This record gives sequence, structure tokens and C-alpha cells, in this order.
Amino acid sequence: MTHTSLLSDLIDLDSALKRDGSTDLDSRKQRDRRIGRVLQQYRNNSVKQVRGWLRQVEVPGLKRFGQEGAQLYHLLCLLLIIAGLVTGAGLARAVLLYTGDRPINIVHALGLLVVPQILLLMLWLVSVFPRRIPLFSSLQSALALLNPGRLAGRIAALSGVEGRQRLAMLWDPANTTILAPAARWLFSFWSQLFSFSFNIGVLLGAFYTIFFSDLAFAWSTTLELDSASFHEFLSILSWPWHTLLPDAVPSRNLVDISRYYRLEQGVLGRGVAPAELAAQLGEWWRFLVAAIICYGLLPRLATLLVSWARFRRHLSHALPRLPGAPELLARMNSPLVSTAALQPETAVEIPFASQEAVPESTRYGLKCAVVDWSGTGIDADTMAGRLRAMGIEQQNRFAAGGARSTQQDSDAVASLCALRPEGIVVAAKSWEPPLLEFLDFLRAIRERCDRPQPLIVLLWGGADGVADADVETWRVTLRQLENPDLHLEVMDAAR
Amino acid sequence: MSTPVFAIVGHPNKGKSSIVSTLAQDESVAISPVPGTTVGNRRYPMIVDDETLYVLVDTPGFQRARAALEWMQNQPGSSRDRPAIVRRFVELHRDDPRFAAECSLLEPVLDGAGILYVVDGSRPFGEDYEAEMEILRWTGQPSMALINMIGSSDHSEEWSNALGQYFRIVRVFNALTADFDKRVQLLLAFGQLREAWREPLQRAVQLLEEEQGRRRKLAARLIAESLSQMISLTRRRRLTGAADRSTEIRTSLQQEYKQALIALESQCRSDVEQVYSHRHLERHEALVQLLDEDLFATQTWSLFGLTREQLVGTGAVGGAAAGGVVDVVTGGHSLLLGAGIGGLIGAVSAWFTADRVADIRVLGLPLGGKELCVGPMRNINFPYVVLGRALLHHKMVEDRTHACRGPMELAQAPGEFQVADAGSRKRLEKIFVKLRKQETLRPELLDTLADEIGKLM
Repeated sequence: MTHTSLLSDLIDLDSALKRDGSTDLDSRKQRDRRIGRVLQQYRNNSVKQVRGWLRQVEVPGLKRFGQEGAQLYHLLCLLLIIAGLVTGAGLARAVLLYTGDRPINIVHALGLLVVPQILLLMLWLVSVFPRRIPLFSSLQSALALLNPGRLAGRIAALSGVEGRQRLAMLWDPANTTILAPAARWLFSFWSQLFSFSFNIGVLLGAFYTIFFSDLAFAWSTTLELDSASFHEFLSILSWPWHTLLPDAVPSRNLVDISRYYRLEQGVLGRGVAPAELAAQLGEWWRFLVAAIICYGLLPRLATLLVSWARFRRHLSHALPRLPGAPELLARMNSPLVSTAALQPETAVEIPFASQEAVPESTRYGLKCAVVDWSGTGIDADTMAGRLRAMGIEQQNRFAAGGARSTQQDSDAVASLCALRPEGIVVAAKSWEPPLLEFLDFLRAIRERCDRPQPLIVLLWGGADGVADADVETWRVTLRQLENPDLHLEVMDAAR
Repeated sequence: MSTPVFAIVGHPNKGKSSIVSTLAQDESVAISPVPGTTVGNRRYPMIVDDETLYVLVDTPGFQRARAALEWMQNQPGSSRDRPAIVRRFVELHRDDPRFAAECSLLEPVLDGAGILYVVDGSRPFGEDYEAEMEILRWTGQPSMALINMIGSSDHSEEWSNALGQYFRIVRVFNALTADFDKRVQLLLAFGQLREAWREPLQRAVQLLEEEQGRRRKLAARLIAESLSQMISLTRRRRLTGAADRSTEIRTSLQQEYKQALIALESQCRSDVEQVYSHRHLERHEALVQLLDEDLFATQTWSLFGLTREQLVGTGAVGGAAAGGVVDVVTGGHSLLLGAGIGGLIGAVSAWFTADRVADIRVLGLPLGGKELCVGPMRNINFPYVVLGRALLHHKMVEDRTHACRGPMELAQAPGEFQVADAGSRKRLEKIFVKLRKQETLRPELLDTLADEIGKLM
């Protein structure tokens, strides 16, 4: 598993999760659980799980730009390597430029090729130090801005190819919470890649100059620094390689003969033959190369590897934490619990016009037979009073529905039709919905009574009164009878 | 072992579909005040992966119970033959439209389903229920009565007395207000109907509880993600052209910022609702208040998007590094003057050249300029307000049954969620500070935030 494929997967996963949001949740649950069961062996490895999911899932309309993002990453790495090699080699050639007029000051060479690297390395260490120390955090922010790796990020953003621009998601402010550590180490990786290449370039440039020209090194100072002290300083500097490369440790003799005074000619290499002197002064190259390797190349190699490993680790870490990924993992790893219906709802839609006002009572001016449907429990006086208010004179009272048999209902219909009333009132409990057997009863009245007298359904609301919703329920249901003589009235103490 | 099946039966409009909707967490169940909305049986199985643990069957209400019972009572046979008589009734009347409802509701019962008889305990008992209860008794199947409290009046005692004559178990259950615990308690009670059903129902309840835990965790994560985005949200607009357009740009940018905040919060609400299978929930909620008048900062942005201050910092460090080389070369005899002077020169030159860099154009594109920036939200109360709103919404969604069909009134919800615990507040504040400053951010920060939110749920 390389970090480039991780990077490619990160870009693809981010796109897939964003795109997948438009898929129905139930479909996602079923699909992801199925994939989760296939990837059961990775249950304890969330990174492998989400990557496995990415391989298997088919998200409609998903464009996978991961490979293109990874290509851009490679391209930027290549550019940084080339830039490092060219600048390193160029600097080495410039520092080691020797025309024969004056020897190369070994201190200058060290100062330009090694010391800045040590300083930059220390700054790098400061920048990667955990940001828990308040004093460091502001310095670290400034150093982060200095990081040449950020330039690569800016160049990436300039890429015109849509897929390649997806690489910029790593440092997109919207993803900071999740991807900031990965972006930080990517920039570090890029900067260390440049620095490592720079050191390779320096070494290549130095070797080229050493192999194909004669160099003479010297050292010089205005201060009262004797050769012994300088040699001691160089010995300390050479300590890391003194056993491995003893030839690369300047000898006391070499330090002695390399001291250069510009004031007098011949001061350099006092008492040494010119040919031998030239050969001896050239010996410094071993020390210089060893110093570049020890203080430049190897630390950069270490920081490059650390940055690479940290970048890879943070990529892995971010992958299962991308927005939507924890939810995905939950869907993959949890049993698919479904309690909903498997078939779509087939219920009949009956329009319910609750806005319709409750009807105002009409004055009928009728003598009516009254049917108490299903034991409303209305006392006779209340009933009579209410009917009087409606202009209805109660003739006879019948009972039907409820605990009575259908035969008793039929007998009641026959009896009341025989009376040939001017109208028929059927009192019913408003809270009980009109069942089909009630509609049967109304139909029977219409069929059995030979004249179309008004048929008034009177709703009784009990102690709670008649609810508007109940009236609407009755109205909608009774409308199915399509009987123009059917009236709905409310018997409510509040009305 | 056969899968427990429960037929929800009863009078029309007494909340059968509401109970099914609540227990099955399915808002697709048609709930209508008009009787006869449910025309056929609809099955709601609880399936865990490929295993069915129980099935609820929503049935149409009795329509002609008296006529059906009379037919049965007119058949010859003793009490032992009653289940067979009911079966014969269904077989003979299956295609009779008069008894379509009765046949539909009796079919699953005759196939072995337990009976859950639903009545409305907020309305008085009536003698018209007796025929349907008698038919159910004739089936011989284990049964339970559920008193569903639809309205505000309470006639449950009256109902209990009547139902007790027909059903061994009578329970009161409000399909609209039952929280998760009440729902699982009811499921466990179903297990009392038959010994063989107890174990699958216990398992079902255990899995439902685990699922509920996962839902909470997911909801906490979604709130954490949304909160983090809302806190760190910024909107930037390049200032170009005449200065008099600045006010116009300010207004439009502020509007854009507010809209983005509202969109993030609204998306979070929908996502949390989806987690709890509320897909079509309408909610009424006041918009989030910004709390902070001073949202804007005008910044100079320059090469690579660095602000003037950042450029100064960069220049200072760069200059100090270059000067430091001089110090090293002089063996420290310069007393770090190189680094000091270099840093100063770098900072000053960066300050004075920032505007000049802004004027440079490369390939027609300006390298810098001025931009108006709104956000991130600096008000320290903002995250707590947003979190409180999110927790309140979560609580209401979690407690809301799928039988509730009206809009959810968040504005009228009693009380407000406040992070009263000092420890939680301290831990949350640490996270919010990091999010506000956009410093030391790590993916684990969201995990921690989600955990903290989970504890507050």
C-alpha cells in the first residue's frame, strides 16, 4: 500500500461520499451492509474497509479523479527533484569556482553549503514540534508559511485539469479539521524532497568540479586563531565520520599548510614544494564532501523519510474520518435492521377537506322519526330539546346498531318507514367513524321508505363535544352515498 | 422456530396504523381520519440482515362485524369448532366485497398471528365493539388489547374493564408520544402472548437498542461535523473597482455567510432526521442568530494568498535566517546582529512591498489585492447556541414517533439545552478554541467532539 494509492483513494473516497449523499438512505444501508459483509475480514481495519468499499461500490455519476490527482502529485515531486538538483549543482559549482588566483576558502564553502542546511534543519525541527507550547506556535505558523513545499501546493492549484485540482482538497480550508495534519506533512515531504535533491545536486556539482578541475582549499582569519584551535574545531566537526572515513578528517599538517595570508605571497604552504602543496590543498575535498553528506544529505534523507511516513500515516488516519466515512463504516459494520414495510403503501387516498366549516343548523320544520344508532346514550330531554331547536318534532324513537342484531336493524327500518315520517333523524356518536354497516343502514332506509324524505344524521359528541375533525370525517364518508336528501347536523352542548 | 407474527386489528380510526407506524418506525404508513384508508393488509417485518425476527401486520378495521358474527353464530358446532367456523367464514367470503375487511384482517390471525386489538382510550367504550371482540375470541389465537390514547380524555379504566373480559393482557400505549423505552417495552410484552415468541422478541429488542445506540453515535458525529464547519466557516470576496461598492459587497458577503450557516445547520438537521428514519419531516425553527456584529475583517492578500501580517512574519524569519548565516560565518562574533538586522529588514521590506506585490499581474492575474473576509465566528457563545439547538432538535427527533405527521415545532419546544456541566464545558471550549483558531487541528478532534456531544445527548 503506497501513499500515492492512499492519496488517490482519499480523493476518490471524498468524491464518492459527497456524490453518494443523493442516494436514498435505505439503498445505501443495504448496499453498504452487503459490501461490509464481503469485507468482513477487514472489520478491525477501517482504512482497508473504506478502501475495499471504494473498489466495490458503484455510485451513480461518480467521476474518479484520484489517479489524476496522484499524477499531479508525482509531477510536482519530479519538478521539485529537478529544481533541487539544478539549484544544488549550481550552488556547488559557484562555491567551488576556482580560477587559480586565490584558493577556495574552506570556511566559506562550509558556510554556504553546510551551515545553512543545519540552520534550516533546526527550523524544520521547530516547525514539526508539537504545537502545545504557546511560544512556539506563532513561530511555527511563520515557518509553515516559509515552507517551500507550500509552493508546490500553489502550483497544483494552478493546474487546469479538473481531476488534478482535486489534489487541492488536502489544503482546502473546508477540510482543515480532517486533513490539516496530512497537508502539513505533505508540504514537509515536498520541502524535504527538494532539500534532499538539493544535496544530491550539491554533491554532483562538487564531484564534477573535483573530478574535472584542480581545486585548492585554504582557510584564513584575521583573528588570533591558531591552527591548533582550528584543527580542534574541524576534528569535532569530523567526529561523525572519523572512524569510517579517516582520510576525510583534516590532519593538523593540512590545517597548518592551508592557512592563507593574502598580505604576503608564499605564505600559503610555507616550506612545501608547489606541486606537493597543490596536491595537499586539494585534500580538503574529502572533508567538504563528508560534511555535506553528514550534515546535509543524511539528515535530509532522515527528514524526508520521516515526512513521507508521517504523511502516509495521516492520510491513512484521515481516510476513515472524511465527512460521511464514519457513517459509511457504521453502515458496513452494523447489522442491517429494517422494520419498515417491504411493499409500498396502497392505502386509498380520500380527500379530507378540513378547511370546510361546520354547517350551521337549519330549521327544518319537520315531524321526524328518530333512530338512536349504536347506543349514543343521549337522554330523551336533551334530544328533544335539540331537535326542537332545529325545528324538528320527534315522532317515534327507534334503536339500531351496537349490540342489536342486523335483523333488529332491519325491523327498525321497516317500522319507521311504515310511519311515513316527514323526515328521519339518525343520531350517532361523532367519535365513532361511520362504518360500512352504518352506510348499509342509511341505504336500507332510502330503499325501504318509498318517498325521499330528508335524512338527517345528527352527531352527538358526548361530554367532550363534537370535534371538527370528526364532523369532517363523517362528512367525507357520507358524501360517498351521493344522497341529496342526506343532511349532517351536530348536536353539541357548546353550539 | 416460526417467526412471531402480530396482526394489529380493531375498529377503524382507532390508531392501528399509528401503532404500526410507531413500532415499525415507518412514516410511509397512511394515517388518515377517514375510515377505510387501510384497504388491505400490509406487513412490517423486522429483518436483521437476512433474518426475520417478527412481523407486524396492519389490517383494515372491522366494517360489518355484527353481520360476520351472526353468520358464524348461525353455523352448527360447539365452542371447540369456533376457529374452524371463522376459517370457513373467511374461505367462503374471501371474494365477497361486503366482508373484504373482515376477511383481510382475519387471514393473518388464522395463519397463526397473535392478535393486537387496538382501541381509543380517550373515547368511551361502546357496545358496537363487542361483536368484533367476540369474533377475535372465536379465532382462539393469543391476544392482547392496546388502549391507544389518541385524545385528551381518559376512559382507559372503562375500557380496561370491558377489554379484560375478552383479552388476557390489556396495556395502555400512546402511539404518538411513546418514547423508545416504551416502544421496546411493548415489544417485550408481545412475547407474553406465546412462550415461543419471547426469545425472538427479546433478541429483537436487544438489536433495536443497539441500533438506537448507533443512531445516537451517528447523530453526535453529524452534529460534530456540522458544528466544526459552522465555527470555522469563512467567506471571502476580492475587493475590486470603486471603493463605493464596498458596502454593497459587505452586505452581499454577509448574506452569503448567513446563508451558508443556515444551509449547514439545515443539512445537519436533515441528516440527523434521516438517521432516525424521518425522511419527510417538516420542521419550524427560528434561524440561527449570529450573535456577533463584527464579523468582518478586511485583509490584504498577496502572493500565494498570504496576508500582509503573514508576509511580514515570513519576511522577518527569512531575513533572520539569512542574517544568521552571517553570524555563523563570523563564528558568533557578530553577536547575532546578522539575524536581528536581517529579520528587521525582512519584516520592514515585506510590510512596504505587500501593496506593490498586490499590483503585480502575472499572465493577467493579479498576485494580490484586498479582500473582505467574514468569519470564522469569534463569539464564544456561538458554538454553545448552535450545539444547544442541535441537541434539542436531536432529542425531539429521537422521541418523535413515526405516527406524528404534523410539523415539528422546535421554536415552541420547552426549555433549552445548556451545557451546564463545568467539565464538559471546559473540554468543549478547548475544542472550540482550536476550531476557531484553526490551529493544531487533527481528525481525532472531531472524534473527541462527537464523544462529548454524545455524552450530552
